[in-house]
Amino acid sequence: MADAVLELEGLTKRYPKLVALDGVSLRIEAGEIFALLGPNGAGKTTLIGAVCGLVKPTSGLIRLFGAAETGSTVAARYQLGLVPQEINFDPFFTVRECLRIQQGYYGRQPDEARIDEVLGALKLAEKADAPTRALSGGMKRRLLVAKALVHRPRLVFLDEPTAGVDVELRRDLWQYVRKLRAEGTTIVLTTHYLEEAEELADRVGVIDHGKLLLVEPKAALLSRLGERRLTVRLSSALAELPEGARLEGAVLEDGGTRVVYRERRGEKSSAEVLGALYAAKLPIAEVETASSSLEEVMMRVLREGGAAR
Amino acid sequence: MNTIGVRTLLVKEVRRFMRVPGQTVLSPLISTSLYFLVFGYTLGGRQAEVDGVPYVAYIVPGLVFLGLANNAFLNSSSSLFITKIQGTIVDLLAAPLGATELLVGFIAGAMTRGLLVGLLTWLVALVFTGVQLAHPALTFGFLFLTAWVFSVLGLLAGLWADKFEQINFFPTFLMLPLTFLGGVFYSVHRLPEPFRTASLFNPVVYMVEGLRAGMLDKSDVSPLLGLSLLLGLAVSATATAWVLLARGYKIRN
Ligand SMILES: Nc1ncnc2c1ncn2[C@@H]1O[C@H](COP(=O)(O)OP(=O)(O)OP(=O)(O)O)[C@@H](O)[C@H]1O
Ligand SMILES: [Mg+2]
Repeated sequence: MADAVLELEGLTKRYPKLVALDGVSLRIEAGEIFALLGPNGAGKTTLIGAVCGLVKPTSGLIRLFGAAETGSTVAARYQLGLVPQEINFDPFFTVRECLRIQQGYYGRQPDEARIDEVLGALKLAEKADAPTRALSGGMKRRLLVAKALVHRPRLVFLDEPTAGVDVELRRDLWQYVRKLRAEGTTIVLTTHYLEEAEELADRVGVIDHGKLLLVEPKAALLSRLGERRLTVRLSSALAELPEGARLEGAVLEDGGTRVVYRERRGEKSSAEVLGALYAAKLPIAEVETASSSLEEVMMRVLREGGAAR
Repeated sequence: MNTIGVRTLLVKEVRRFMRVPGQTVLSPLISTSLYFLVFGYTLGGRQAEVDGVPYVAYIVPGLVFLGLANNAFLNSSSSLFITKIQGTIVDLLAAPLGATELLVGFIAGAMTRGLLVGLLTWLVALVFTGVQLAHPALTFGFLFLTAWVFSVLGLLAGLWADKFEQINFFPTFLMLPLTFLGGVFYSVHRLPEPFRTASLFNPVVYMVEGLRAGMLDKSDVSPLLGLSLLLGLAVSATATAWVLLARGYKIRN
């Protein structure tokens, strides 16, 4: 197993009126893309803030890069990058100046080549000398991403990096995130676009009310909790399914014009069911199969809470 | 120590105030000239003397103090406050900048502005009074300590304030009275008791009298006592600010 770049043990953050993080334990492996998912107010930003030094944890341990010491020490932050959820910008400076300042904060000499590279990757090259207040909302978000990456961090937190970013640029950003991973950068991502997590993540963590409900490789999660749905459209309506087609899990819907079979792992496969329907000589007009998305799986996890573990 | 980080913060602070030259350059020019007109000339100050020094010359150290103290305070308080409001404080907190780095960066930036405005004020005063600088090193010592104290006070105010008007509490309710009771425009020696003794508890008196000792070689209080008291004040205020920054007072949830 790869080394952990981040380990949390029993991380808890209590506000006077609520518990934002409730005993979260988690390992982030070097070089992975980890998607932290959960509804509004689940505790995602709080978790990231605790690691990056924006939030003071009530209790628990944070260990970065296998260091013996705990807590977000100043030294570890040289290697961290953060795209905060809230857009912030200093209207006094241009895009390029902001990135130079950011390099300086991280103890680096100005590196214009790196700045140009990041600006290019985020499609901000044209705006390099524009004052930050003259950027559109999506451009400001991309500037936040550029700022988080310009000092070549080993571990990057992207807190909703594509909120308000248009479809095309979002895909560009995904590609860039994959490139970062290929270069060895570890990425922790939060997003409400589950398509984004499905596209990018190696592993998924679901958090709700400050509790981590599950952590699992994305592919395993989809196959464990996801289902394959077989829909067979009939050319004429049936009152009920004939003898040979009465299979566990297959139901007649839509006034008898459709047979739907939901395949769960370890059950009869859709192909077998379809074979049985043909054998029963049903008037089949059209066949359709679909797999559930991460979105459907997420809904199920949240509905069932910790029970889906 | 992240020295590049501190330098970056300092340069950023300097560039920020250099972008508002109206505030940093023009306003000391105007206010100093006005003070000279009002206090130096129209109030009959042309003939008046204090302890053998012409009144226009006598108020120069106080005017330098005013420009320096106000600008040092204004720079760190407004800069930190704006950083909190803009949300760019996140950049500072997430970066490898500890309490020491933040403290040095903000204080050095504010002191630079304070000392710059103090210097400009003095240059304007030269036009009215000619050069008067008896002890350059002593003068600089007091300028430095005054700038340091007010930069830290500004930092504390900026940390504490949640609303913009709160930034002004401190200048209005503390600095303004202490300044006007601090002998900027008169000799505290001439105050009747008990005000004369009371003024010995006003740190501004030591700053103004210290500058007077340095520039005019005239002072109502011992410069050495002044230097030690101000150094003690600067160090304890800085230590307080360090502890608050390290704990993330009002900047970290
Ligand atoms: N400074 C604060 N004081 C009190 N409660 C807070 C504070 N900051 C956050 N919270 C609460 O902590 C909980 C977790 O918030 P957090 O921002 O971590 O959620 P999130 O998962 O990032 O949500 P979203 O998807 O909306 O960004 C919320 O209930 C929020 O109201
Ligand atoms: Mg959030």
